[in-house]
Amino acid sequence: MKSTNYSEKVLDHFRNPRNVGTLEGEDVAVGRVGNPVCGDLMEMYIKVEDDKIKDIKFKTFGCGSAIATSSMITEMVKGKSLEEAMKVTRQDVANELDGLPPIKMHCSNLAADALHDAIKNYRNKSKSMSAPTKSPEEKREIIGEKEFENKGVYHKADDLSIFKDKRVIVLDKGDRSQEIALNLTKLTSRVILATSSKDLVTNPELKIKLKQSDVKILYESEILEIRGTNEVEKVLIHDLNEDEEYELFVDAMIIL
Amino acid sequence: MNGIYLDYQSSKPVDPRVVEAMLPYFREKFGNPSSLHLEGDQATEVLENCREDIARFIHADKDEIIFTSGATESNNLALIGFALRNRNKGNHIVISEIEHISVHNIAKFLEKSGFEVSRIPVDQYGRISLQKLHDRITEKTILVSIGYASNEIGTIQLVSEIGKLCREKGIAFHSDAVAAEGLLPVDVTKDNLDLLTLSSNDIYGPKGLGILYVKEGTKLNTLMIGGGQERGLRSGTENIPAIVGMRKTVEIMQKEMDIEVKRFTQYRDELIRGVLETIPKCHLNGHPQHRLPNNAHFRFDGIEGESLLLSLKDKGISVSTGSACTSKTLEPSHTLIALGLLHEEAHGSLQLTCGRFSQPKDVEKVMEVLPGVVERLRKLSPIYR
Repeated sequence: MKSTNYSEKVLDHFRNPRNVGTLEGEDVAVGRVGNPVCGDLMEMYIKVEDDKIKDIKFKTFGCGSAIATSSMITEMVKGKSLEEAMKVTRQDVANELDGLPPIKMHCSNLAADALHDAIKNYRNKSKSMSAPTKSPEEKREIIGEKEFENKGVYHKADDLSIFKDKRVIVLDKGDRSQEIALNLTKLTSRVILATSSKDLVTNPELKIKLKQSDVKILYESEILEIRGTNEVEKVLIHDLNEDEEYELFVDAMIIL
Repeated sequence: MNGIYLDYQSSKPVDPRVVEAMLPYFREKFGNPSSLHLEGDQATEVLENCREDIARFIHADKDEIIFTSGATESNNLALIGFALRNRNKGNHIVISEIEHISVHNIAKFLEKSGFEVSRIPVDQYGRISLQKLHDRITEKTILVSIGYASNEIGTIQLVSEIGKLCREKGIAFHSDAVAAEGLLPVDVTKDNLDLLTLSSNDIYGPKGLGILYVKEGTKLNTLMIGGGQERGLRSGTENIPAIVGMRKTVEIMQKEMDIEVKRFTQYRDELIRGVLETIPKCHLNGHPQHRLPNNAHFRFDGIEGESLLLSLKDKGISVSTGSACTSKTLEPSHTLIALGLLHEEAHGSLQLTCGRFSQPKDVEKVMEVLPGVVERLRKLSPIYR
């Protein structure tokens, strides 16, 4: 079966998703789930009154079934009690949509998880995102940092011209490193700023500039290892939020 | 084709002139070249004439053309056939990170069979550097296989220079030129090739036929054992109707390629300029200059390719995406990852490839529809703010 062999009901919810958006307020909780391998990310917002879901909204980045399941579950649980809503399973959502392609059952059917997460967050009276907050770990040496010194790893960045048209990853070490990242965008279209924190710690002006720039910011990311043959070819990144590791192809790394 | 078809990279219609040329070979001229009677003799004659004409298309000699069932088989014969036959000379093979999936999977198979495979990384535009290739070659290297151009992002490699380097080192050079055939002047002599894969459908011929060019003196093991057709390298009764079709399509190509390529280039450039100018937070994947004349490949921040594809499908536009959600393994395109893209970026990609029956209105329609589709999906997205 093709991965895009969707039922009419799935297509309807994909084309006309219900309850898209976000909610705010004292009685609102958010659930957030994502699967970085498959590339789906869902946010489910619930507004609770008398232990019932008074209103529900979602935002989803993902394929057709990811969007359809999000939309479907909002219709299924609106007005229901939190207890009832907790009982809704992935299978229930899939059934309500007249089924999903088998390959999509696991990774693009996370709406129930997002909803349950939101309910748990509400019950914990925590309105924060569900993402586990890990404090940045102590500075430790990156594997390969010495081996590739001046072969793609640079501890100084006085002469940026050597990075022309290169894919550069800059390790966030505060204002100076962030300014370097910004300046690099004049020389190359690919600049990545990797930070282990959830948000950039910097002055407001620089933060706005960075967010408007072409610098790709990787939050909650730790560089574990630098890999290559003779020179830097890729880095191994630990996504602290998802607790997943992946490789990213780069040509150079700046570690001030 | 009912709507707007901009996925020529995946499949092409057979040119009506080709169908016409093939028809007699299904009914009247049905002989088997191995037979010794009149029908057999006629089949042998047409087979050898076709071989000669197709060889001329790539500046090869007729005895250097092996007919196969398609590009996948040609790649298997080239890599596995060569590796097994030349094992005594070394066990190291070099490919790039952005090869067609068939070459990638064949390389994995060879690794399991005891060969060592190096995969050369590419730059942010998808080009391999000659220096990196040079550095990876060892005394044990017997074969280098680098695609002529990427079937996804359209980046064209420095084929003749790669070939020159391999020749200097005494290493065989194979190239899968399926993405480039009919769009670039493939020339086995100028390109210093020892092995070359082509497919019939990718130049508007029938499916189910490919060729492998095997330079004189290049030794291969056979993978298909049987009656000893194709100099013993590929047994099985020759697919004469398809071979006649490929000859016809090559003949058309030789006359029309230049004009056609000019037309494609115009569509491509209009698409690239239009999309980049109209849609915010959108990027071109692949090389800005050295790319196939019919290939436009984009990525859009904050949205996912399958939902993009489905939305365009609803508007009658057929396209491709490198998103994982449309693949069998749910892994994003290895080519896009090799460019240095993050998973979420690779997911938001869109590939548009035009071809012989594309018209200016196709480009206009895309420009009319795409900005709205991207905007709608971004409104749904939690990562586009």
